[in-house]
Amino acid sequence: MTPQWDPEKPIYLQLYQQVVTRILDGYIKEGEALPSVRKVAAEYQLNPITISKAYQMLQDEQIVEKQRGKGLFVMPGAQELMLDRERESFLSHQWPEILNQISRLKLSAEQLLSANVNNPVEG
Amino acid sequence: MESLISISNLNKSYGSKKVLSGVNLSLSAGQIVGLVGPNGAGKTTCLQSILGLTDFEGDISVLGHHPRKDRVNMLNDVAYISDVAILPKWLKVSQALSYMQDIHPNFDLEKAEEFLAKTNIAHNDKVKALSKGMVAQLHLALILAIDAKVLILDEPTLGLDILTRRQFYTHLLEDFYTEEKCIVVTTHQIEEIEHILTDVAFIQQGKIVLAQSTDDIKARFNLVAVTSEQIPQADELQPLFKNSMMGLTTMLFDNQDKETLQGLGKVSVPSLADVFVGVMNKETC
Repeated sequence: MTPQWDPEKPIYLQLYQQVVTRILDGYIKEGEALPSVRKVAAEYQLNPITISKAYQMLQDEQIVEKQRGKGLFVMPGAQELMLDRERESFLSHQWPEILNQISRLKLSAEQLLSANVNNPVEG
Repeated sequence: MESLISISNLNKSYGSKKVLSGVNLSLSAGQIVGLVGPNGAGKTTCLQSILGLTDFEGDISVLGHHPRKDRVNMLNDVAYISDVAILPKWLKVSQALSYMQDIHPNFDLEKAEEFLAKTNIAHNDKVKALSKGMVAQLHLALILAIDAKVLILDEPTLGLDILTRRQFYTHLLEDFYTEEKCIVVTTHQIEEIEHILTDVAFIQQGKIVLAQSTDDIKARFNLVAVTSEQIPQADELQPLFKNSMMGLTTMLFDNQDKETLQGLGKVSVPSLADVFVGVMNKETC
């Protein structure tokens, strides 16, 4: 299956993000191998350079490491590293905006906590 | 990157009809290049010149060989699927394989058999018993088993259903492509392979009107949804293409400042097909 790519963002960044999210969610485990560039290119119908770029970013950020002749493997501690980074990014970027919106709408803590979090409304 | 094919000032006429004029192109290892143009633009003639199948004026070097003068050596490392590719009806698959093995020094029989094992094609099938999609797969098997540095595909998926087209490109990426090779492909289904291509050359009336990497094209062209009040300002920036629909006018701009465009409306990234339509339109205006 080929994913639906957002035309506004470079595909290699979206692919990078996909791997990061899958590590965070535990679908790709530490120590597990990433599929080869060739395999992903064929499966997603992308040019291999796009995939190499995404994989290079993952290597540069020490999320995966190259094992000679065997390919790329998720590094031990990658999930924790990702969690830290995503927490940090949430607290410094998304959370202030959400806080602003909460105070703009004059929402109380009770209202927020009683909202049905299992059925979030897409906004 | 190492240049594998270089074409400079390529000209070709059939009688008084000029079909290629002043074509310059340089193709490197690792590239998957889409040669895209309307029917009759000169795509096939251009590929035939590269392959030495036709006389031409100008200079072409393919892996250091002249396609006409040094064709036999060139074809050791160049493979080709023509848009009118046919295999003799009476030929058995096994005969096709042994024929290739006899005539081509770089043909890897094992690789072809490995590939065919993934298909429904049997060794003692005759070509006439194969469907159109299977003939294309057989062709691909014969071609991919040549360890070519340059692969030229002229409308390789024409007339195939979407499943077979997809499989064709899957095999191409999985079994053939490496960073040392270059693939040139012409197709009308540009939207299907837009993410596969690393580079694109648009050809119109025998001229290359745009040749660039797909990344650069995405950076260079912008689509803007312009409201009716903003149209006069937008027109001043000379859009390549305009299309009014449901109260907004979508315009395609080439090389315009992103901030200026954002002032005119919502900016988005066009698909290669959008850019193609825009560029072709401009040239005929």
